[in-house]
Amino acid sequence: MKNFQWDQNKFGLEESTPTSRAYHHSIRALVRERFEASGLEWKDFVFGSNNCGLSASDFTNVEAKLLASGYRFDLSATISAKEAPEKYKPLKGQHELTLNAEVKDGRMQAGEGDNVVTYPASVKGSALYVHTTDEVMTMVMEGVPPGSIAIIDDSGGTLTAPILEHFAGVICMGGSVRSHLAILCREYGIPCFMNAKIGGINNGDRLEINCAAPARSALDCQKGIERTAEIWKLV
Amino acid sequence: MEAVKKPITYAQLLETNNLMQINSDESYWLCVTRTTQESKLFPVSPYMMLSYANAFYRWPTLLRKIESRMSMEECGDRARNMGTKTDTLTMGWTLPCFYLLGREWLINMGMLRPEDAVEDVIYVMDCWKRMQLSYHRNDGHITNSQYGHRSQLMPERQLQVFEADLHDTVPGDALHVASSKFMATVSQYQFLSHCECRIGICNQGPYSFGEGRELIVRDFMDLGVGDYPWLDGVADKFPFHNLTVPMVVKDTHFELMDDWGSFESKPEFRAENIVRIGLYTSDLLSDSYVPVAMESPQALAAKFTELTHLISEANQVLWKKIAGWSRAEMLEAGALVYYNILKDVAHIAGVYEQSDWMEIDERAQRLVPLLNDEYGRDVLTELVGLLTLPSQVCNDYTMAMHKNTNHRMYSPIPYTILNTGDYTATSGPLGKGSSLFKKTSGWRTTRGVLDQESYNKAVREFTPFACTPEARFLDDNWVKYHHKDANVEALYRHTQARSPKLANKGAGLTREDITKLCNG
Repeated sequence: MKNFQWDQNKFGLEESTPTSRAYHHSIRALVRERFEASGLEWKDFVFGSNNCGLSASDFTNVEAKLLASGYRFDLSATISAKEAPEKYKPLKGQHELTLNAEVKDGRMQAGEGDNVVTYPASVKGSALYVHTTDEVMTMVMEGVPPGSIAIIDDSGGTLTAPILEHFAGVICMGGSVRSHLAILCREYGIPCFMNAKIGGINNGDRLEINCAAPARSALDCQKGIERTAEIWKLV
Repeated sequence: MEAVKKPITYAQLLETNNLMQINSDESYWLCVTRTTQESKLFPVSPYMMLSYANAFYRWPTLLRKIESRMSMEECGDRARNMGTKTDTLTMGWTLPCFYLLGREWLINMGMLRPEDAVEDVIYVMDCWKRMQLSYHRNDGHITNSQYGHRSQLMPERQLQVFEADLHDTVPGDALHVASSKFMATVSQYQFLSHCECRIGICNQGPYSFGEGRELIVRDFMDLGVGDYPWLDGVADKFPFHNLTVPMVVKDTHFELMDDWGSFESKPEFRAENIVRIGLYTSDLLSDSYVPVAMESPQALAAKFTELTHLISEANQVLWKKIAGWSRAEMLEAGALVYYNILKDVAHIAGVYEQSDWMEIDERAQRLVPLLNDEYGRDVLTELVGLLTLPSQVCNDYTMAMHKNTNHRMYSPIPYTILNTGDYTATSGPLGKGSSLFKKTSGWRTTRGVLDQESYNKAVREFTPFACTPEARFLDDNWVKYHHKDANVEALYRHTQARSPKLANKGAGLTREDITKLCNG
């Protein structure tokens, strides 16, 4: 056949992630099949009434093929699992970090993260996990417990939109110092750690976050310089 | 008579490939300093991918529609004199990159070759170049990154008005408290109303304000009812569509203002270092910036507080509305926010149609079944961060900018098409579009809430003073030598007309004169 460049890619055809690899292999095979069957020149096949001869049902089948192999997807938005739980892996629990749990001065290290802004002093508060829209809705209706340090595994700025300003501090289990949640915490003047790893923290535990530590800059991120600050559990 | 179609030239391909590579290098830098933005509320990565495909199939046609009435460089001139969504982020980065990311994705699925839609690619990149050169006319660059991550877009006459009229503030005073709360609240609202996307906020600057102080100008856009149907019934009471907050900061150097309109400073930006602040609104019909409650610090503080209440209220209502959406609605709303990022250029040209900018093309819509959370995340991460999709791998000797590995984000157009003629020109006209959202309200403007037809008509009939033939080409360097010229005087006086302190002061002012005027 003519002009199917994927046959001759000198550097190979391997995507680095499993779903991209599986999907793209399937779709390229479909395009090849439809192109050969069409008898058209590529220029008449790629756009116009043909549009590579692929429809939504073809792409539905691509997903179905992967699911049929037993593969289940990682979850990001809670709505995805709510509407199609059969497609997704169960939601992960809290991110556990094993630390040398030495108690000193009434506190033990229970995690670390990238500090967004350096403040004059560390901040203390009570741990409050926030995972879902239902939990946020409850706090919209009933209020956020005063002095809460939110532990959020979402670096976005929308899940906690109606309640963010009421937190005493934020520990985010993902993202970077330039993520939306970090930007908003900076605007509100809320101490915030991004890309955090924690262990052994339960709802209601008293915490102290070392937001007096140096902040991690964009340059640090670019150069891969680690600059973490401590999260302590008060005992 | 039908126009004779000109053949593609070697020079066009060289330039187009260069413009694509510039965007490839900078996009990698922008993306590597962030992880993929995820959200528990919105399926962000999946909606981004959908928007890129929609942009690839639709933007060339819509850009041609805009240019049938107004050139990109004239749109850039208008954009430079107001705070709308024709800014650094939307025009500087997303115009080329959303389109090219859609192209690269389709290439990797085997649904496109780098030789396809060549005239579209050349045209989109040329539009970007002309828009950017015009928008950045005052600083003389094509992007913020070319200027070492800085954007000095405003002319002297506008900056002088800010210098004269911004109000002093210190931490703890009413203005400081009210303005800080406003900026946090409006930022929060913008992320929500834009479905987790940052495009509702853009910053420019810094500008030197002397004595170790720097000005940055922050724009908050699409606040009221307008193009987004989900703001109908939510933002109806909000009296402004766009707000601009110029603020002077002490003891802080903004060392980076990137092409996403985000800043980095040393030390980190903190609200207590804001020493002067103001509030303005602008749109396509306002003829530049209109002061909002700038008559006194007390009036301004009260206005910030009033607007904060309105935004807080809208934020709560909108969050509850969105929390009740289906995944399909979240996916489409997010994709539309990304895809329609160029819509304000259509507004500028007076050719805006809701169906052009708020619908998903059937050619993109068919890809929706692929877009589960994991594939969306992974293909996006490969596309913009890892650069490991097969089309992105270069020969073993390549060392990419900022990465030093053999990868590039965007595939260049092969030069062999000049010999073989083996290429396709365009992805074609708009396909059938669809949307889950219906618009029920009008568009908030400085002339009240207008319907689509009246809005387009009003824009077509209006030329901002700075864009009239007499004023359009009066650049700052020429003004330096001709500040007594009648046209220059008229332009300065027009800009000063709404300023309590500079009204009718004319074009001859220096910073020293303004300092004396303000102290006197």
